[in-house]
Amino acid sequence: MNKMQENSLKMFLFFSELLGRSVVNSEGETLGKVADMKVRLGELFPKVASLCLRKKRQHIPLELDWVEVEELTGHLIQLKPEAEEKIKPLVVNESEILLREELFDKQVVDTFGAKIERVNDIHLLVADGDLRLVHVDIGIRGVFRRLGWIKVIDSLTDFLFSYHVPEKMISWKYVQPLASDPHKKDLKLNVNLRKLHELHPSDLADILEELDQKNRSRIFRSLDLSTAAETLQEVEPKFQRSLVLSASEELVSDILEEMEPDEATDLLAGLPQEKKTKLIQTMEKPSREKLEELLKFEEGTAGSIMTKDYIFIQGNKTIADASEAFKNTTHPLDTISYLYVTDEENHLVGVLTLRHLVLCEKSTPLSKLMNTNLIKVKTEDDVRDVREIFKKYKLLALPVTDDDNRLKGIITLRDIVEAT
Amino acid sequence: MKIFDKSHLRLRWKRLLIFLSIAGPGIITSNVDNDAGGIATYSMAGAHFGYGLLWSLIPIMVALVIIQEMSARMGVVTGKGLSDLIREKFGVRITVYLLAALIVTNFGNVIAEFAGIASSLEIFKISKSISVPVCAFLVWLLVVKGTYRSVEKVFLVACLFYVCYIISGFLAGPEWGLVFKAFAKPAVSFSPGNLAMLIGLVGTTIAPWMQFYLQASVVEKNINVRDYKHSRMDVILGSIVVTVVAVFIILTCADTLFKAGIKIETAKDAALALKPLAGKYCSALFAFGLLNASLFAASILPLSTAFVVCEGMGWEVGVNKKFSEAPQFYGLYTLLIFFGALVILLPGIPLFPIMYISQVINGAVLPLILVFMLILINDKKLMGNYANKRTYNIISWITVIILVAMGIAFLVSLFKI
Repeated sequence: MNKMQENSLKMFLFFSELLGRSVVNSEGETLGKVADMKVRLGELFPKVASLCLRKKRQHIPLELDWVEVEELTGHLIQLKPEAEEKIKPLVVNESEILLREELFDKQVVDTFGAKIERVNDIHLLVADGDLRLVHVDIGIRGVFRRLGWIKVIDSLTDFLFSYHVPEKMISWKYVQPLASDPHKKDLKLNVNLRKLHELHPSDLADILEELDQKNRSRIFRSLDLSTAAETLQEVEPKFQRSLVLSASEELVSDILEEMEPDEATDLLAGLPQEKKTKLIQTMEKPSREKLEELLKFEEGTAGSIMTKDYIFIQGNKTIADASEAFKNTTHPLDTISYLYVTDEENHLVGVLTLRHLVLCEKSTPLSKLMNTNLIKVKTEDDVRDVREIFKKYKLLALPVTDDDNRLKGIITLRDIVEAT
Repeated sequence: MKIFDKSHLRLRWKRLLIFLSIAGPGIITSNVDNDAGGIATYSMAGAHFGYGLLWSLIPIMVALVIIQEMSARMGVVTGKGLSDLIREKFGVRITVYLLAALIVTNFGNVIAEFAGIASSLEIFKISKSISVPVCAFLVWLLVVKGTYRSVEKVFLVACLFYVCYIISGFLAGPEWGLVFKAFAKPAVSFSPGNLAMLIGLVGTTIAPWMQFYLQASVVEKNINVRDYKHSRMDVILGSIVVTVVAVFIILTCADTLFKAGIKIETAKDAALALKPLAGKYCSALFAFGLLNASLFAASILPLSTAFVVCEGMGWEVGVNKKFSEAPQFYGLYTLLIFFGALVILLPGIPLFPIMYISQVINGAVLPLILVFMLILINDKKLMGNYANKRTYNIISWITVIILVAMGIAFLVSLFKI
């Protein structure tokens, strides 16, 4: 029980105000200055675990548990009796970070605004004797405060415009710290990168593009496969390349399997030939075959952007069978707005829409309902022509056939939008 | 055997392609270095000292390579800009004051560039009330509406126009025997006049903004650590090109103005004085070179300043962003161009004190930045295996100490005037 607890005092403090304060023992002798603070992550608003001290003529960093602090008076930090003997060399373990070393003045990700920000100050709360990390200050006000200009600026803006520069803070809930030394702490921060995984892949992609290479590839490697796949599709080609080259081949081939085959071929197209062959070889058979088939088509043709994820069914089957096929599919939603009807030799004969499945009698054979007036393209057709067809007919997807009218794949509206 | 040759050739091509995709930052930075102020200084060196100071360009080139190589290395390895690293290592206080100083000195340089644009076009009989606003607008448009790739291409083309100086150098008809002698057996003298000119040459070649700009554009290019050696080639090549251009400017002025005993104060003086001595083509090329250099630097300096400030303060940065996405970046960029051009257009604004103050700050900021750079590049946490090696470290410290000493001497000389 310390004095702060007795008073059940609640107050906010800025880390910049505590940094450099003198630490005094119960007799009032100065032991050193506050050089840093260690925080144990895990809780929503994590506690400060210890003070890091800087003593004169002492080069090894020292620490003292926060429980040894009696109170914060004026510009001093008052310790409990006999706290002096508990000062020990600093050890930082996996779930801990140093505020000055790893957060102060560094870049963090604001997972709420999906942006990278620089920490100008750190906002701490004294509650029940604990010091907790609650906000990071990212506003210009934090800069003024640290420069010691805040009073001058406030009275100036107050006099001129009756205005105060507002505080700009992010709650710690939404703050993802980044590593200052990614080499050593790879393990440690991967555990703590969880907050990033709540971001939408396209936001995540923007953030990755802004980061330095080390952080970028480290964060990328920490993502789960499906997020990694979606994020990779969203980043610019030059970053795609560097991300793929920095990750292990196993990881990349796993991600490629997770991607839609047409996206995967786009990605592979930008890589050096050797890397490409290696990656394809590392992939599991079903995905590899799909991919290899797509890779056969020249860039800029319908075949190179088509996807193999579609539902096809034979004409003698019924609506009930088609519904069953629909239930069993895991293809993305935009690829299954149409069902394609084929004969025994995979020739395309007709098309159905989702509406047929919902509205029509279950026992009706598909050949009676299907639309046989088909709009389709061939694998070797130019992507630009395909785009014109989409514009003209306002379709959600187009079937792609070979010269013998065999169904080879489909192009969805999304595929054509993404193919620039 | 033939197959082997082919694959060998292909490998060469591949290397060249990689180099070309990475080259740019070093070459551009070095060439901007030969801006309006640089050309004026080189012209004066040639006109007042003849071939006498040619030798000094070699050590200056070496220093330039050493300093810039460190910037490029930091950019490639850390993926962060210099102001970013300074902020993270030395805190907000130093960073803010440093950036404020940098804005002032760069603003002075921007004014000098617009003055260069105005005076070079006046030689072609275009009034500055037309040339300056038009050029300012073009420069502004290039970055606000362009993308990184297009901007870089325009800049690389601008680098080509420095050939003007090489041609005008030949037109002036130098005595090659004496030129080689000036390099091989230099008559090194440290008389006060010589020394002041020497300090001027160093000061104009190695400026604080370069380190920031080079590192930022290396970062923006997202160069892989494995390709670092290409980036180093880029820097070395840039430094050589810049030195060659400087040599030819000195030659042009040495063979004409020095022999005729004409004293000059600006690059415009040089171009005008060249006309009766070396013919109108030589003079026109000289003036066109000045225009190109001033325009080029007038677009890079505000850009570099905006980059550096936003990066250090944590604001959105980038040529690829829209205005609303990076308001501080484009705001600062626009203001620097606007006021830089305005100062030249308004007759009442005292040009000389502004330039003087900016030169003083330039000289004061450079030592600080060089020392920061050396501390950062020796930080194992940051640089890992790419930190300076022992021998290289000694060489770079010696270089920096000499530069700092010259910087201080430069400051002292400025106050004496």
